[in-house]
Amino acid sequence: MATKSHYPHYNVLDAAEDWDPHTRKIVEARLLPLESVEHLTTAETKTLYSVVAALIDDDRSEILDYVVKHFDDTLGKRIGESQRKTGVPPQADLIRRTLSGLGKTARDNYGKPFPELTVDEQHTILGQLERGQIPADGIWMNLPQKEAFTKLLSLTVEAYYSHPKIWSEIGHGGPAYPRGYVRTGPGLVDPWEAQREE
Amino acid sequence: MQRRFGDQEVDICIVGAGAAGGVLARDLARAGLKVVVLEAGPFWDPQQDFASDELSMQKLGWQETVLVAGNNPLKMGHNNTGRGVGGGTVHFTGVFLRFHESDFRVYSQDGVADDWPISYADLAPYYDRIEREIAVSGPKHFPWGPFAGPYPYPEREPLSANAVVFRQGCEKLGIKSAVTPLAILSAPFDGRPPCINRGFCNQGCLPNAKFSTLIQHIPQAIAAGAEVLPDCTVTQVEVDEKSRRVTGVIFVHDGTEYRQPAKIVILANFVVQMPRLLLNSATPAFPDGLANSSGMVGKGIMPHSSYDVYAKFPEEIRLYKGTPVLATTQDFYETDHTRGFVRGYTLHAHGARPVAMATGISVGAGTWGPQLRRAMLDFNFYARITQVGEVLPSEKNTVTLADEKDDNGLPLPLVTFGYGDNDLKLIDHAVAKMKEILTAAGGKPEFVIPDTAHLMGGCRMGADPRTSVVDQWGRTHDHPNLYLAGAPIFVTGGGVNPTETVMALAARTADHLIQQARRGL
Ligand SMILES: Cc1cc2nc3c(=O)[nH]c(=O)nc-3n(C[C@H](O)[C@H](O)[C@H](O)COP(=O)(O)OP(=O)(O)OC[C@H]3O[C@@H](n4cnc5c(N)ncnc54)[C@H](O)[C@@H]3O)c2cc1C
Ligand code: SF4
Repeated sequence: MATKSHYPHYNVLDAAEDWDPHTRKIVEARLLPLESVEHLTTAETKTLYSVVAALIDDDRSEILDYVVKHFDDTLGKRIGESQRKTGVPPQADLIRRTLSGLGKTARDNYGKPFPELTVDEQHTILGQLERGQIPADGIWMNLPQKEAFTKLLSLTVEAYYSHPKIWSEIGHGGPAYPRGYVRTGPGLVDPWEAQREE
Repeated sequence: MQRRFGDQEVDICIVGAGAAGGVLARDLARAGLKVVVLEAGPFWDPQQDFASDELSMQKLGWQETVLVAGNNPLKMGHNNTGRGVGGGTVHFTGVFLRFHESDFRVYSQDGVADDWPISYADLAPYYDRIEREIAVSGPKHFPWGPFAGPYPYPEREPLSANAVVFRQGCEKLGIKSAVTPLAILSAPFDGRPPCINRGFCNQGCLPNAKFSTLIQHIPQAIAAGAEVLPDCTVTQVEVDEKSRRVTGVIFVHDGTEYRQPAKIVILANFVVQMPRLLLNSATPAFPDGLANSSGMVGKGIMPHSSYDVYAKFPEEIRLYKGTPVLATTQDFYETDHTRGFVRGYTLHAHGARPVAMATGISVGAGTWGPQLRRAMLDFNFYARITQVGEVLPSEKNTVTLADEKDDNGLPLPLVTFGYGDNDLKLIDHAVAKMKEILTAAGGKPEFVIPDTAHLMGGCRMGADPRTSVVDQWGRTHDHPNLYLAGAPIFVTGGGVNPTETVMALAARTADHLIQQARRGL
């Protein structure tokens, strides 16, 4: 498995001027620093930064800003959450309760707030959440842990892999509209696409 | 709200402007009937509303909460349901295939499920017509099923690397493969350009190279005089209890309730919302909901099993490039008793963009933290195959009403789903096959993602009013002027993408109604 980018000199945003304006606006907005949140509390925000950092193994704040913003937007979303298992609280509740539960478990087990734990300690707690192994008392009572883990992971992953910096790192061509691709077969790359180095 | 017909009775009121609703609206309006289409979602303008972006285009899915339960709770929203004019066709992948003859005779042939009240031959002329109408691109010779080609437009080229390695793997194993028939242009047609290989079909096609009823049938319907009202959610079908005839529908626009009287009401609002609407329309004389004397409304819903296998290759594949699906095999489509299960599946080489792959291998396959990050650094080295597997109907797989209510005060739908034994054996076989193909092509299978695609059933067709909801024309057994159209009326799901069959059935219902209108509605 790779440990670093195959495309260290590629920047998907170099082609941004050629994108359609609507897509460009959406993608470039993801680069903005997060100045304030609308729905998350300060404590939730702090915990969330370290939770998402652990889930995607990246602590660069300029990227985490967008991931956290995506959570904040999701908390304010009215339309619905596509699907929810019976017995699982609505997503805003689920996210909020899980974040405070993680804070509580961190203090109970290690005597520190979640963000101050080592990465290994954070992984241990998140692993327990994934397997549903955090003792189901107090704040965790009636909180479906596996579903909570999945909700945090899916919101984190969809935002992280929507960040243009991450597209550049993994060598994704990005929106590519209206340009499209001419060379698509094995081994073929259009001149503006990521060129593999190494 | 501007309404051309106001409270006047129209000939036809269609609920849902998706695949089936689009075909019906166009055909019936062209026949001179007064048609109103009510659509819950927006009237998309591709240039303003679509973006080449996975995350923001989740809005093309039906995001209103659906409760899910069962052994294999379904992933809803963008995964299987569209919302807005065009319905599911706006963000579908464009794979455009016919059912096989055996799909209509599953009980006769395999002793499970049920036969359809129609045969392949009944739909064949409609399949022909729809393929011509939307200029389906595909091979000169198609190796499986009753239709051997040629397709109206030439097959797509060039292929993506992902499709090429799939075909190489198949060839090594003696498996036939073909370039996939697609509702995507390989040459200009009707003022629309051919595909430019960006791969964002599931995000809505910006250049309009991919067919949808949003860009084709609905504009044609409007040109022929139909009224299409977006952002109008139908909340009730009204019925005259004495005559059992429906009289029209109630719908909500911007918080206000309206009524649209009609001589004929056609529901074309897909697998979850259609049973929900029928159940929510209960009256004292129809306490179990409309069209439900059989008790079958909401029963027998079917997804396709749609497991994905990702394999890593020594060289770049670049899954993001090219139309997502460009190569297919149906060598495993028909029942083969040596396999230990009945029915079968289709396999497609299927591209992916970063969010889909990362979500698949994390949420779907349990990878997170450093493992996820590293796997995704090799994004460009993965190839993927996806399965479209038949799931047999079961009365345990249902849409029912939950206690929880939506903003209009209506009970939310509860969708319960679990695979049966045959379904699971079929999945195991398909996963093993996908791994073999990828390995033969030089890859190393690394992730298997359990997933489903599409939805069908829930208001099935049948000749017997005691065990089915609609007859072979889509007319409900219980109400002479209430019709149902689209994926919900499927009896079985086949092992193949459903939309060409959805549209062929809708065109057949339209012909039936046009003939009936000649005698007076
Ligand atoms: C991601 C994805 C990929 C797909 N890929 C393929 C493919 O490659 N090939 C293929 O054959 N099929 C594919 N499909 C499946 C295809 O989209 C469906 O089979 C098809 O759209 C079903 O047609 P329909 O007319 O039954 O319903 P739809 O097209 O879903 O239309 C239903 C419409 O009804 C509206 N509606 C619902 N409730 C109400 C209400 N109460 N009032 C008013 N309006 C309402 C909805 O907003 C929607 O617009 C795909 C689907 C998805 C989601
Ligand atoms: S790949 Fe082709 S059909 Fe699909 S969205 Fe892009 S241009 Fe449209």
